[in-house]
Amino acid sequence: MSVLYFLVPLALLLALGAMGAFFWAVRRGQFDDLDTPAIRILMDDDN
Amino acid sequence: MKPTTHQICEHCGLPSVGARFCCAGCEAVFHAIHDSGLEGFYRLREIASSGPAPIGADFGAPSAGHFARFDAPEYLERHAVMEEGGLYGVELYLEGIHCAGCVWLIERMPRFLDGVVDARLDLGRARLSLRFDPALCPLSRVAQWLARFGYTAFAVRAERIGARTRLERSMMVRVGVCWAIAANVMLLAIALYAGLEHYGDQALASAARWLSLLLCTASMAYGGSVFFRRALASLRVVAAERSAHSLRQVSMDVPISLGLLVGYVHSTVATVTGTGEVWFDSLAVLIAAVLTARWLQVRGRRAAGDAAERLLSLLPSIARRVCGDADYEEIPAESLRPGDLFEVRAGEVVAADGWIEQGSSSVMSAVLTGESRPEAVGPGAAIEAGVTNLGSRLLVRVTASGRQTRVGKLLQWVEEHGERRAPIVQLADRLGGVFVLVILAAALVTGLVWSLVDPSQAVSHVVALLVISCPCALGMATPLALTVGVGQGARRGIFIKHDDVLESLARATHVIFDKTGTLTEGRMTVAETYGSEQAVRLAAALEVHSNHPIAVALRDAVTFGPTQPECSDIEEQPGGGMRGVVEGKVVAVGHLDWVLSQATGSACARDDAVLVARMAHDGLTPVVVSVSGRIEAVVGLGDRLRPKAQELIASLKARGITPALLSGDHPGVVDATAARLGLDTQFVHGGATPEHKVRFVQQMRKRLPQATIIMVGDGVNDAAALQAAHVGVAVHGGSEAALVAADVFMTREGVEAILELVQGAGRVMNVVHRNLLGSAIYNALGITLAMLGYIAPLVAAVAMPVSSLGVVVSSLVQRSFVRRNYTKRNTQRRSENHDTEECTP
Repeated sequence: MSVLYFLVPLALLLALGAMGAFFWAVRRGQFDDLDTPAIRILMDDDN
Repeated sequence: MKPTTHQICEHCGLPSVGARFCCAGCEAVFHAIHDSGLEGFYRLREIASSGPAPIGADFGAPSAGHFARFDAPEYLERHAVMEEGGLYGVELYLEGIHCAGCVWLIERMPRFLDGVVDARLDLGRARLSLRFDPALCPLSRVAQWLARFGYTAFAVRAERIGARTRLERSMMVRVGVCWAIAANVMLLAIALYAGLEHYGDQALASAARWLSLLLCTASMAYGGSVFFRRALASLRVVAAERSAHSLRQVSMDVPISLGLLVGYVHSTVATVTGTGEVWFDSLAVLIAAVLTARWLQVRGRRAAGDAAERLLSLLPSIARRVCGDADYEEIPAESLRPGDLFEVRAGEVVAADGWIEQGSSSVMSAVLTGESRPEAVGPGAAIEAGVTNLGSRLLVRVTASGRQTRVGKLLQWVEEHGERRAPIVQLADRLGGVFVLVILAAALVTGLVWSLVDPSQAVSHVVALLVISCPCALGMATPLALTVGVGQGARRGIFIKHDDVLESLARATHVIFDKTGTLTEGRMTVAETYGSEQAVRLAAALEVHSNHPIAVALRDAVTFGPTQPECSDIEEQPGGGMRGVVEGKVVAVGHLDWVLSQATGSACARDDAVLVARMAHDGLTPVVVSVSGRIEAVVGLGDRLRPKAQELIASLKARGITPALLSGDHPGVVDATAARLGLDTQFVHGGATPEHKVRFVQQMRKRLPQATIIMVGDGVNDAAALQAAHVGVAVHGGSEAALVAADVFMTREGVEAILELVQGAGRVMNVVHRNLLGSAIYNALGITLAMLGYIAPLVAAVAMPVSSLGVVVSSLVQRSFVRRNYTKRNTQRRSENHDTEECTP
């Protein structure tokens, strides 16, 4: 069970990484529009 | 008399009588789309469609002057952001966006315009993000390309967008981080609840608690600080006022902050001393959940903020003041003072209210009145901020500028009203505050009682009570239900600006329609015919050669078969009628007096005169047909009621809503329409000027203080009335100013849309009430059981999130504004029409 002393902080570090990525994505404006990307995938890029 | 065949416009799907398209605008856009090879638009249109297709401008091909302002260097400076490589980024708001097809079409812009690198459309906000090289492709060309397809472009001011986006983003980050922390604390708490400290490694348990403390501290500092700041501010306000009444104004942030602090301090002490319960998980989740609720509300206010911003972006920021003889000074538009003289060049937008001192031109005031036809103006004419000068240079003397202009006053009103909160949300806040205090008191009581009865169990029961009680429905589910409802409405073409409007809509008692065109078809059609049908046929044959609305109505009423009767010697007299020779006979069609003056030697039979008088009294336009000098037929033309108007009015009444009609149309017509629909005459007024409308609404509010009034309107003339009513509804095709003044914007016209709005709002409020009730029952049960000692902390720890989830899910799965079955009938009819189209020539 003592492996938890290592694993839990590791998990928190990963969480920190994830938060960093989230922060970066929000800064780039990726969360500003959540509806239109859903429609864009339905479009064919032919023609 | 054959009824007119109802087809639908090939482009926008709205009814078009006997033609491929409903208007020249649609036809132009249809051809523009096909010429560019963009027919895919029509395939995608049904997806996420929220209204009719973009309709081409009514005034024909826009002249180059329209777009000149896009190329002015100050324009780019104010609105565009420079990026690497000489590219500029600009955000444009587009009018006429409504469906997936629009996204597809517009995002194809780079293929058609050299110099445009990227075009991204945000469908929900109708905002286009453009990256382009102004040297290769000036912005005016982009605006022109968009206009071909029926989209009008306005640039949004860079600095205002920035501020709001930054706020929303920082809130989002806060929410995300707090949930991440809460989730991790919950994971640790699972171990603790499972009994880590009793059965497992004590050192590990202690480590878990210390880690929870650390994470929770981060959450309190980053997320909780929002509540602490507001609680302090609220307390300061109350302390300054020092009255019993002001105690009620203590915001919900105070109990939340109190709860957080008490919980935190107790848990910290427990961690440090190693004994006692820790509640870090509840604290972290509480912070994250309430922050989410706040974020949802801010996001829900987007539409309101967007509308105001759009209107602001329509006003120029720089004005050219005249000083001296030929000297111009460029100053911010708000700095103009009454009495100043400023210059408006061709293609520019007027910066302030005033009157024209020099110059004659034509202006377009679509922003203010929704009227896109140009009007001629000359010296002495009054002109308002926001209209576009189409023709030549004008010199204008200022009467009001900045906030004092008509548009400015509207914006001010919008800002003042922006911060209001739905009564039900306010109630939820107050209840939440009371709730928390009740819980704390109950916890205290439980602790005391149990420590006397059985001390070993006291703590676990107090913990169970604190954990199982959940004000989620109050703090979170109510705003969530309202926001989801608004989102669903948006998909149906109903854009609600503030969620508090839903509550007013559900309680509405009166609806005021602003024009007969909402209840009637808005066109003249043949209502009654007396006399020889043959004569009417001859008259219609004659009227083929005219474009007068009366002629159109007569034409539509008659089908000619394979050959049309021949006409010659056609003469049209404006204001009188038409005369010609049809199939060898002299035919005259028009007003009674004129026809009599044409046909020499004819007498007017008394019956005819009585008939004409009766028709006029009924609100119909009487048209007399004379053949070879004798009056053979009398036709009454009027505005037909829309097909389902009767039923819909009845449905409104069944909901307890009294319809009213307040229109600028001729009183005779208005009264007649109202009578046909069975409207109460005290709520019917024709010939109403904008001032009358406002006064009517205000008087109604005074006379019936319990009433909740919805006003439907579309021009700036209605803006004041829209503000005066409890809920203002602006309809597609109206002016920007009306959009700003209104609380709801609909892309569809008619009584049906209003009914859908009201019914949908009612359903959303049902969801909210359902949540509150469910939560109340759950809490009452849970708290009672916990106090009596039947609940173990673990059970509580599971029950609480389950109940929260239940309430949140109940808010999300509501079907308030879902497409109803009548759409299937519509699509059936559409395919039927297509079949008959192909059979008959």
